[in-house]
Amino acid sequence: MSSEFSTAVLDGVPADDERRVVALEELGILGIDSGDRFDRITRLAQQVFGVAAAAVTLVDRTVQHHKSQYGVRLEDGPRAQAFCDHTIRRAETMVVEDATVDERFVHNPAVTGGPRIRFYAGHPIEAPGGHRVGALCLVDDKPRRFSEAERGMLAELASWAQREVVRADELERAAVVQRSLLPRTTPTLPGYDIAGFCLPSGTVGGDFFDWYDGSDGSVVFTLGDVMGKGMQAAIIMATVRAVMRAAGRTARPAAAVREAARTLYDDLQQTDTLVTLCQARLCLQEGVVTLADAGHGLILVVRADGSVEPRMPSGLPLGWGSDEEWPEAEIRLQPGDTVVACSDGLLDIHDGTLQALAEVAGVVARSSRAQDVVDHYRQVAAAIPVLPDDVTVVAIRREG
Amino acid sequence: MDVEVDGSRGTAVVRPEGRITMVNAADLRSAVTEALDAGGAMVVVDLSRCEFMDSSGLGALVGALKAARQSGGDLRIAAPTVQVVTVLELTNLNRVLRPHESVEAALRDG
Repeated sequence: MSSEFSTAVLDGVPADDERRVVALEELGILGIDSGDRFDRITRLAQQVFGVAAAAVTLVDRTVQHHKSQYGVRLEDGPRAQAFCDHTIRRAETMVVEDATVDERFVHNPAVTGGPRIRFYAGHPIEAPGGHRVGALCLVDDKPRRFSEAERGMLAELASWAQREVVRADELERAAVVQRSLLPRTTPTLPGYDIAGFCLPSGTVGGDFFDWYDGSDGSVVFTLGDVMGKGMQAAIIMATVRAVMRAAGRTARPAAAVREAARTLYDDLQQTDTLVTLCQARLCLQEGVVTLADAGHGLILVVRADGSVEPRMPSGLPLGWGSDEEWPEAEIRLQPGDTVVACSDGLLDIHDGTLQALAEVAGVVARSSRAQDVVDHYRQVAAAIPVLPDDVTVVAIRREG
Repeated sequence: MDVEVDGSRGTAVVRPEGRITMVNAADLRSAVTEALDAGGAMVVVDLSRCEFMDSSGLGALVGALKAARQSGGDLRIAAPTVQVVTVLELTNLNRVLRPHESVEAALRDG
C-alpha cells in the first residue's frame, strides 16, 4: 500500500521536489496556529468570487494541507489526488472550468464524490527561495467561466497570501529569538522565592524581565516595558535589555538606570520611544530590595499581613532626557513579605484602571509562594483570546 | 486630525479624535510638525475628544513636545480624559506634560 502510494505521488514529481519540501518545512507554518492572517484572505476570496470554497493549501511530500479555508469544508488528503499539486508544478494560474470533461480530474475522488468539484482555479504560493509550496485556490460544485480579470485578481490575492507566508516565517523566528532573551531558569535563593513571566500580546512584544547575579553577591532584577507594540517595540526591547545588563551588574539601581538612560537616549529619541523600567537588587543577607523606578509605577510591596506599602518615589521613563536622575527606594523584606512588579498589560486584565492594583495585591496576599502569583496571572492571561497588551509579572517573596 | 493655526498669535491647536494608538500615533506627530511649520510655536493638543491613548500615543505626544521645544516653542495639553491623566501620572510624564483644563487655560498659563 505504502509503496503503491508513494509511486503515485512520485509520478511526474519534479526532481527537485525534496528541496521544495525542505523550503516548506523551513517556513515552519505547517501545523501551527497563524491566527487569522490567512483566514482574512480566504474569506475575501470566497466572497469576491462567489464560489463554494476558497483555501490556502500547502503541499508537502505526500499530503495536501489546508492552512486556511472558507466556505464548504475541504479535507486534507493525499497529494496524489490534490488539484493544487497540479497548480504548484507551474508558475501560472491553473483553471479547470469543468472537471468532468478534463481527463486529469474526471476520475478524481473529489469530483466523483464529495465535495463534487466541477470548477477549480488555483494560483501558486512561493517560499522566499522561489519554491512553490502551496496555492490559493477556489472550488465550486458547478462549472464556470473564469475571465482574464478574475485570473488577475486571484493572482493578486495569492501574492498577498505569499507575503503572509514570508511574514509569518520572519515573525515566528523573531519570537523564538525574543523568548530566548528571557530568563530560562529561576535561581534558587536560600530564604527567598522568586518567579516571573512575560507574555507578548502579538507574536513579539516590548515587555521583558531579567534576573542575574550582581557583582557584590546580590541578585539583580529588571522589568521593562517599551512603549508601543510588535516588532518595533521588540527591537528596542532587545537593545534596552542588553544595555541594562551591562550597567546593572555592578552599578546600584539608580546609577544603572541613569547610565542606561544616557546610553539609550539617542536611539530612543530617534524612534520617539519611551521605556518604563524598574531596576532592583536584592541583598539576600539583609533582606533589602533597593529599587529605582523609571516611570513604571506598577510596583507593589505586600506585607505578610496583607497590608500594602504606599507608592514609592519614582522618576521619568527613559527617553525623555539625557541628564535625568532617578530616586532610589529601599524596601526591607520581613518573612512573608512580597515585592511584585508588573507591566500595565496586567491592569488591562482587570479593569484597566489603577484600582486593579488592589486586585493584584489581593492575589499576592492570598498566595503563599511567588510562583503562585505568577501561575495565577499566566493562567488568566492564557485564557484571554487576544491580549490587548504585553503582560509581565515578577515577584520576589521572602519565605517565612 | 483638525489643526488650527493662528499665525498672528503664534499659536496652534491640534484636535485628535477618538483613539490615539500605534495605528495613528504618527498622524498626531505630523499634525504637530505641520502646526510648528505653519508658525504656531505654541501648540496646544486639545484632548477633549480623545477617548483613549495607548503608550504609542503617549510616545508621539512626548516626541511632539521635544520637537516643539527644539524649534523654540512649546506644547501643552488640554482637557485630557481620566484615562489619559492616569497614564501620565503613572509614568510621571505629568511632570513634563502638565494637563490644563481647557485650550484657553493652556494658552494663558505660563
